[in-house]
Amino acid sequence: MKNNFVKLAGVLLIIGAVSAGVLAWLNDVTSDRIAQNEAMASMDPAILEAVMPGSVMFKDYEDAALVDTIKADNNKFINLLTAVDESGNELGKVIRTWSTVKGFNGDLELYVGFTPDGQISGTSVISHAETEGVGSKVTLPAFTEQFIGKDASGEISEGDYDAVTGATYSSKSFLSAVNNALNIYAEYVK
Amino acid sequence: MNKFEIFKNGVTTENPILVQQVGMCATLAITTSLLNGIGMGVAVIAVLTGSNIVISLLRKFIPDEVRIPSFIIVIAAFTTIIDLLMHAYTFELYKALGVFIPLIVVNCIILARAEAFASKNSLSDSIIDGLGMGAGYLVAMVLLSSAREILGNGTVLGFRILPEAYEPMMMAVQPPGAFILLGLLIGIVNYLSRRKKA
Amino acid sequence: MELVSLFITSFIVNNIIFMQFLGACPFLGVSKKIDTAAGMGIAVIFVITLASVITYIIHYTILVSLELEYLQTIVFILIIAALVQFVEMFLKKSAPGLYQALGIFLPLITTNCAVLGVAINNIIYEYKFIESLVYSVGTSAGFLLAIVLFAGVRDKVDYADLPESLKGSAISLITAGLMSVAFLGFSGLQL
Repeated sequence: MKNNFVKLAGVLLIIGAVSAGVLAWLNDVTSDRIAQNEAMASMDPAILEAVMPGSVMFKDYEDAALVDTIKADNNKFINLLTAVDESGNELGKVIRTWSTVKGFNGDLELYVGFTPDGQISGTSVISHAETEGVGSKVTLPAFTEQFIGKDASGEISEGDYDAVTGATYSSKSFLSAVNNALNIYAEYVK
Repeated sequence: MNKFEIFKNGVTTENPILVQQVGMCATLAITTSLLNGIGMGVAVIAVLTGSNIVISLLRKFIPDEVRIPSFIIVIAAFTTIIDLLMHAYTFELYKALGVFIPLIVVNCIILARAEAFASKNSLSDSIIDGLGMGAGYLVAMVLLSSAREILGNGTVLGFRILPEAYEPMMMAVQPPGAFILLGLLIGIVNYLSRRKKA
Repeated sequence: MELVSLFITSFIVNNIIFMQFLGACPFLGVSKKIDTAAGMGIAVIFVITLASVITYIIHYTILVSLELEYLQTIVFILIIAALVQFVEMFLKKSAPGLYQALGIFLPLITTNCAVLGVAINNIIYEYKFIESLVYSVGTSAGFLLAIVLFAGVRDKVDYADLPESLKGSAISLITAGLMSVAFLGFSGLQL
């Protein structure tokens, strides 16, 4: 009886170990490529240009303590970054945040860029799960560009912006992310 | 059954989605565009064939009492392999299919074939069965996602098919559309197979 | 208050069956009679909640610290399979009637997309522990709601005069689609 149990457990253990081994190897082989993909998803030059025209890179904000404080207070906040141009000059700040109101299919992830005087320089969607051709229209410049110039003096109300026709939930979700960024900027960064 | 019959079985007589009606979740969820449908279909073919191969090779070594957990480990391993490969090499498709890639492991069709076929048949037969069932799955995905993309977006693989003036049937790309279109598709298949028998 | 809104969202607004499709297989298979459907729904609530708690803990304490995230699929599904075994043994002893009625569908909870789906989503959405708990209970309660409603409707559908080709899964899916339209109406619910 006991012998049988050992045999059964042994078979499972061998299969499990071989599988884990193969996966560990494959994970190693693909990890660089995967990290690159993930980084590029948020560092696409088109996105950089849309959020802060003229920028070539978003660097982590120097004051790590402030970033941690914001993270502790605001669970939709992801990161605070500095946008720099080719010569390394700072163009403004960028806030990376989730939406606070779910879209049709989950949260939207956004960059919201701010000029030094606290006006929005541009917005861009990093990731979303909205319906292709419907909610996904919130990623288009026709929608995202309307937020340029708004400043961090207050939230944008629903009457003050144009939602995408037929994509109300995606639009509201996008707006909530912008407002979250505005609030964070006004409270912590200004 | 000879090899051709095994393959054909998976595509028509025992088509996993249209006849056996298993593995519905992914079918309903990601078929909003033909590209996604094809991507998922190919991923399932890969996992199904891979696990059929390994399970068929090991069929004499796996004791009966632990066969289900063994199958699960093998299927989960192949699912993870596909997940890692897609994450690295087909990133856009990976993001579009999302959580449904790891969910391939609970696609009933794979465990069902492992239990019903691969654990009892030769390696070459099991490969053909995997490819056949996978092809059947792909066919159903293509049918459903083409219908949803054309009706809901006027496009196929991103190319506009219906004129700009066509007002897209939003429902087609939303959840209700998925249920209804799949139901109609199965109804049509039922009708065709009944006519064939008559 | 945010937790309440999370619960309502996962229960109705993003209903697991009618909006997310996870758990469609058992949904179509078991929902023929209301009491079996209710039993299945309750078993699923139990499995999903427990599975979520265990997988959440294992993920953050073991997988992440040892950088073994790529083993997530294997580890999670094995935990779920083991859990379902326990539930099976438990039901066999304490509720044999329900055990018989559920039959093959009980072990099939293992392959229920909803269980693994919820476990994985808890990690993807980066929920804190209490949030993942609320999400799990809300989502599985949504499964119960969906399956019981559907069983009620199917009861009537069985007596309808239908073309032969549409009987069975075809009409079930179409019916589910119409119910899904109703749930779509909840999307406007902002809490």
